[in-house]
Amino acid sequence: MSIKIIKAGVLATLQDVGRHGYRSIGVGSSGAMDIFAMQTANYLSGNDEQPAVIEINFPAPEILFQQDAVISLTGADLAATVNEKAIPVWTTVFVKKGSVLKFKRCISGAKTYLAVHSGWQAQQWMNSYSTHLKLAAGGHHGRALQKDDVINFAADQIAFAENKILAWHISQNELNKIYTFENSIRCIKATEYDWLDEKSKQHFEQKDFTISNQSDRMGYRLTGNDLLSKRTISLISSAVDAGVVQLLPDGNCIALMADHQTTGGYPRIAAVIKADLPKLAQLSAGKKISFTIVGIKEAEDALISMQEQLAEIRSACRLHLEKYLLH
Amino acid sequence: MINKNNTILPLPYSISALNETALLVSFENIIDENINDKVIALAHSMQENNFKGFIETVPAYNSLAIFYDMAIVKKCHASLQTAFEFVKNFTEEQIRTIQPVKKDGTKAINIPVYYNGEDLAAIAAEKQLPVEELIRIHTSMSYRVYMIGFLPGFAYMGKVDERIAVPRLSSPRTNVNAGSVGIAGFQTGIYPLQSPGGWQLIGQTPVKIFDTQKNDPCLLKAGDSVQFISITKEAFEKLNEY
Repeated sequence: MSIKIIKAGVLATLQDVGRHGYRSIGVGSSGAMDIFAMQTANYLSGNDEQPAVIEINFPAPEILFQQDAVISLTGADLAATVNEKAIPVWTTVFVKKGSVLKFKRCISGAKTYLAVHSGWQAQQWMNSYSTHLKLAAGGHHGRALQKDDVINFAADQIAFAENKILAWHISQNELNKIYTFENSIRCIKATEYDWLDEKSKQHFEQKDFTISNQSDRMGYRLTGNDLLSKRTISLISSAVDAGVVQLLPDGNCIALMADHQTTGGYPRIAAVIKADLPKLAQLSAGKKISFTIVGIKEAEDALISMQEQLAEIRSACRLHLEKYLLH
Repeated sequence: MINKNNTILPLPYSISALNETALLVSFENIIDENINDKVIALAHSMQENNFKGFIETVPAYNSLAIFYDMAIVKKCHASLQTAFEFVKNFTEEQIRTIQPVKKDGTKAINIPVYYNGEDLAAIAAEKQLPVEELIRIHTSMSYRVYMIGFLPGFAYMGKVDERIAVPRLSSPRTNVNAGSVGIAGFQTGIYPLQSPGGWQLIGQTPVKIFDTQKNDPCLLKAGDSVQFISITKEAFEKLNEY
């Protein structure tokens, strides 16, 4: 009832929908960087959105299945193979005991999510399975997966004859709602937006930013625009959130991501809308992005749309997987 | 500052969207006890009279963020243009009727410290004080916990006596041990876990400030007060929880 990591990847961690309600003691939400792909991976494996999934970067781990399993991969296309046969992202795959899952190269995106039917067994800390690296809590001993780690499934899997890829998958049309216009990221003006001088306000929207290689689960550093604050006083530390774009003293910005601190002392000039965080999460170092400012109503409506879309995907997955997964 | 009606005096504030799932109340951009009183009173008031969809608050020196499940708020108040509008109205009403924090809402706590910090001698030299006097000053008063942030459980406390106030190191240490007690400007704090850090270090507490094994892992909360107690090396070793 388990998999074994036969080769470690770079920072493969167990993540879920996040740890909510502990910001006032300095514990941020963590959770999957791309919440859309994370939840869809669970739905495609016949789960609800709650179980932990494995968030995978390239270079990715190699994984041996020690038991039959119903799995799905979503998010980045890392040219996955099972026993050297290609398997696609955004569908359900039946994998026989003894099979090896590998990822060959990064075709598109940055984060792949691996879910298993019934969910991965993970350690819960403060109501979440997400790995808190700094506290070494949650997930798999609070750390990235290493060679020889064994991760169990929560329950036995259904029996099937051979490795199989289900024809039914999440359509490109569905994915386009979340991941199109890859370079354009919508945001709202955040609390200190007006600290920017007029020229910087124009540049913020008109000029591209580059995601620098100093980017990780805590935040993406955005370079290429020398923005200026017209205020000389500094900000007193105050709350931040994933997606908040802070202006650094050197004129670059940082877009905070899943493992961000709960408070920060840099001016908050913008906040990436929640519905565009999956898209941003799938962009890696070297990619260019541009910001488009929208109003709070559009930001709210976009998040509601994404949540409704996820609910539809959940229903559709249930309908299509019923015949395979009903024990 | 409490007036006759036992309410807190009004202070100027502004409300903005931190994003579409969090609202931010900002008071004047200064570190001030009265402002922080208001922030913490508002945090308690939001916890007690919360609305459907409310998740949590993040109190800071002079601001309070209110996080909410936007979809739930929107569903409950479908006639409003935005969920933000509802949370803004609700928050403004709370600010109007805010009550001071109840006595049992916060705690006073003694924290033992072995004053052996790496920067202790340098600070004493810079401030032209004997080390014993520096320790006496640091332990001569209790400090308010203004906020928790930066790291899980990291309490920003103040204000320290001017005679021992020193700036951050120009080049932060890459590794500060868990339990280290430091000073940065008029602030004092304890590193709950091993971390990079730029505060000047004066000592080490044997007490775990953040313990993932506990149900309530965080020893200190915004609004608490802390009294440091100087202990010997022997006592430190006996009490050490790390």
